[in-house]
Amino acid sequence: MPIPIFARNSPRVRIIGTLFFIAAVLGLAACDNNPNIPPLHKTRPDGSPWVVTYRAFLDDPRSLDPQFAYDEVSNGVNSNIYDTLLTYDPLREDYVLQPMMGSELPVFEPHPDGTETVTCKIKPGLFFHDDACFPGGKGTEVSSRDFIYAFQRMADPKVECPVASTMADYVVGFGDAYAAAEKSGRFDYDAPFPGIEEVDRYTFRIHLTKAYPQMKYWLAYLFTAPVPRAGVEYYDGKVHNGVRRPFFRFHPVGTGAFLLQDWRRGQFIRLVRNPNYNTIRFPKGGWPADVNAQLAPYADVKLPTVDEVQLLVMREQIPAWILFRQGWTDASAVSKDVFNSVIDAKHELSPVYAARGTKLIKDLDLDTWYLMFNMRDPVVGNVKVRQAMVLAYNANAFNEIFGNNILHLTDQILPPFMFGNEPGFKNPWRDTNLEKARQLLAEAGYPKGIDPKTGKPLEIVLDTQADSATSRQMADFDRSQFEALGIRIRIQENLFAQMLDKQMKGRYQFLSAGWNADYPDPENFFALFYGPNIVPIGHNQSMYQSPEFDRLFEQMATTDDTSERLAIIRKMNELLLVKDCVVGPIFNRVTYRLRQPWTPYFVKNSIVGQYGGLRFAVIDTRMREQKRAEWNRKNYWPLVITFGLVAAVVAYGIRRRSQANV
Amino acid sequence: MFSYFLRRLFYTIPVVLGVMVITFVLFYMLQKPDTMARRMLGPKASPQAVENWIKQRGYDKPVFFNTQPGGNLFDSQFFIHLKSLATFDLGVSDATGQPVLERFKEGAIPSLSITLPAFFLGIVLAVSISLFLVYVRETKIDFAGTIFSVALMSIPVMVYVIFGQWFLAVLLKYFPAYGFNLEGFDMIRFLTLPILILVIGALGSDIRLYRAIFLEEVRNEYVRTAYAKGVSSGSVLLRHVLKNGMINIITLTVAALPMLILGSLVLETFFGIPGLGNMTLAAIQTSDFAVIRATTYVGTLLYLLGLLITDFCYAMVDPRIKLQ
Repeated sequence: MPIPIFARNSPRVRIIGTLFFIAAVLGLAACDNNPNIPPLHKTRPDGSPWVVTYRAFLDDPRSLDPQFAYDEVSNGVNSNIYDTLLTYDPLREDYVLQPMMGSELPVFEPHPDGTETVTCKIKPGLFFHDDACFPGGKGTEVSSRDFIYAFQRMADPKVECPVASTMADYVVGFGDAYAAAEKSGRFDYDAPFPGIEEVDRYTFRIHLTKAYPQMKYWLAYLFTAPVPRAGVEYYDGKVHNGVRRPFFRFHPVGTGAFLLQDWRRGQFIRLVRNPNYNTIRFPKGGWPADVNAQLAPYADVKLPTVDEVQLLVMREQIPAWILFRQGWTDASAVSKDVFNSVIDAKHELSPVYAARGTKLIKDLDLDTWYLMFNMRDPVVGNVKVRQAMVLAYNANAFNEIFGNNILHLTDQILPPFMFGNEPGFKNPWRDTNLEKARQLLAEAGYPKGIDPKTGKPLEIVLDTQADSATSRQMADFDRSQFEALGIRIRIQENLFAQMLDKQMKGRYQFLSAGWNADYPDPENFFALFYGPNIVPIGHNQSMYQSPEFDRLFEQMATTDDTSERLAIIRKMNELLLVKDCVVGPIFNRVTYRLRQPWTPYFVKNSIVGQYGGLRFAVIDTRMREQKRAEWNRKNYWPLVITFGLVAAVVAYGIRRRSQANV
Repeated sequence: MFSYFLRRLFYTIPVVLGVMVITFVLFYMLQKPDTMARRMLGPKASPQAVENWIKQRGYDKPVFFNTQPGGNLFDSQFFIHLKSLATFDLGVSDATGQPVLERFKEGAIPSLSITLPAFFLGIVLAVSISLFLVYVRETKIDFAGTIFSVALMSIPVMVYVIFGQWFLAVLLKYFPAYGFNLEGFDMIRFLTLPILILVIGALGSDIRLYRAIFLEEVRNEYVRTAYAKGVSSGSVLLRHVLKNGMINIITLTVAALPMLILGSLVLETFFGIPGLGNMTLAAIQTSDFAVIRATTYVGTLLYLLGLLITDFCYAMVDPRIKLQ
């Protein structure tokens, strides 16, 4: 006979109900809200605790091949797996290069014929990660050949290195090797590669077709990170002895402080300590006083300081913030959704978060955002129109409305802490002055903003990428700024593809643009306005062409960071920003990040902070456990109330129906 | 029945072809290969790198017909697209280079681990509640239950996700707000919240539908006869109404079964479940045409399979229906 569930107050119903309730309560008691997967181990072989750091990551990396990856997420992971010849001093804000795998800084030797040789020496005793691709599974020692192999890979069209054409411009024979491989369909890694010469096991020379001091920055970039040929050839994505091996881009073998243990797409990436790592050590000192007590025990210790890194792939900001609040991740960005509750009006932590011990990190990014004009446009091609528009733009209001007032407003194209950025530089068009702007517009032939040809307000098109409500609001803001001059701004909304197409073909009048530097050298920014770089060949999207500027650029690009170089940069600024007013610099981004009280932070520049900073992560595990327990106490009363309500409704219904039946 | 089966299979061919053509045309209207390349390589990539990317993936071939002198007429992107889908060669992801079939295999289990339990639990819960509402029909509880169901139907799934995370993970701290693990008993912690959200998200419409089905049954003659013979309300509902109502419910819900493998876009992204929904959303965000194409194709096939199964179910459970 079936169980009469609707029978009146059956004892069996009560027993089942009670058992279900007990099971639910016990089940819930056994659950907790820890989202992290269990660490690989609880203790190290010596009995000390196994230390894990947990971070939220925006997305899966596209590739873990250092010669291919060019996006922030991939390089954020790769920089912990691969080391480079050089790196930036983590204790300096001004991006000072220092040796990493190199035993010294590279030596640049110019030759009378205009060519240049860069001699690089690497530290002996550095090894690749232990991996099945090596005989006996033991990583081989890194030699000059491995650096040469990295350059060869960049010249292999199948690797699709995004900066191959830049290298082809400077490295001897690079372009020829690329072309030959493209023609034959295969890169010959055994053929001579004249651009890089193996001097001895630990020394190699890069032969450049012309002076290129910026090569030193590429030697700190992951594109030039050494990779083992054995690894690339072993991880070919094919079936061997019945087992499919992954592709090298998903199974990196590097020399960095961590090696990839596990990567579950859309879920997490787990890195573990490279036990053989001895490339660099923890700094001996020089960190801020407020973290000295926490960091002093780590002075000059072997890196990395943590055993395992769990990078949680979190495309949504809300759950990422929840996990940080609960203490399950060690660091977090400050998303715009929570900005006002976390940061106070003085741009410091709100009392609630300060009381939790949260630390606020402010990083000035290596980028500049500006108004960009099409120099070939008949209207904004007129310098006085450009000057008037830049003068009319109220950057302070923009900062207040869209930047939470934390953007770093700027007068110049080079961001702070980069050589050539002068805090005292004054751009005459950057102080909002509507009166002067109107006068300039009148001088340009548009009195009160009226186009004499039509007798109507002058119409200028602002192209914008309409991918969010914010971008539309920003476009509206821009319009309001310029329409104060009497001109009419027509906003042209574009999809990503359309916008890119217009920029690459120069089919626009003006727009807001930005440049995130590849490396901290003025050449990387001024190249955006160098005549031979006009789109589609290069990135000169403003299509600015000035023989004088080009001459100064060529001179500046090959000069060391001296007063002479600074003098050239001043002239370039004068030409680009003052005389020709090609762009109107607006701001540099400032990234606000949060750290939990148990993870002190000392890295002073955004490059190391973003790339490779995990090797310096320090975690006070005891404090973390304590805080997590405190912040994650379960509440049972809402559950009891919910169960009670459901039971009451069911009981009431049954009783009513039973009474009706009677 | 066999001839019916063959005929239905034959009918699916133009539908599948249509979907393949529409996907291809729509995608090419929105995305040009150089835009895709720039998205993948980054806006700073050199024109040479962009050109190389396009060439490596065959996006430099003619779009529909290859009319180049000496060229094969069908050596075009469109026919390569058709051929690869027809032979179930789903290709490699434009973004990562990983074989798409491999991604499907990796993502299917996580997706099913959420959708399958939610599907069955949802049916059990919705049937129980709707049966209860039928039991207390025409009372205030029935009225309140109907309003409650309509309210549940009206709330977008995103609200359930955010509320579920806030209530059960932030306020009560019973379950993780994010994460996924299928190892051992730990899976209960990670699966419970997303499953609950999926169940509650679909509960309102299911209750309304099933209640209507059961009410229809309750008005039948055989129910009146059962009451006349003195059978209790509970027994009538459980023994007769439920059994007969389930015929309709099964035939309606079985169509959704094959689609469960594709997971849930929003839920998987919000909980970091590495399923096919998560993969699809990431592919949309990165314009990964190869993955979008494969997902659309597989989705179409699964949907058609669902419809086919529904027809067979009708014939199996209702002796009045014959497949001809």
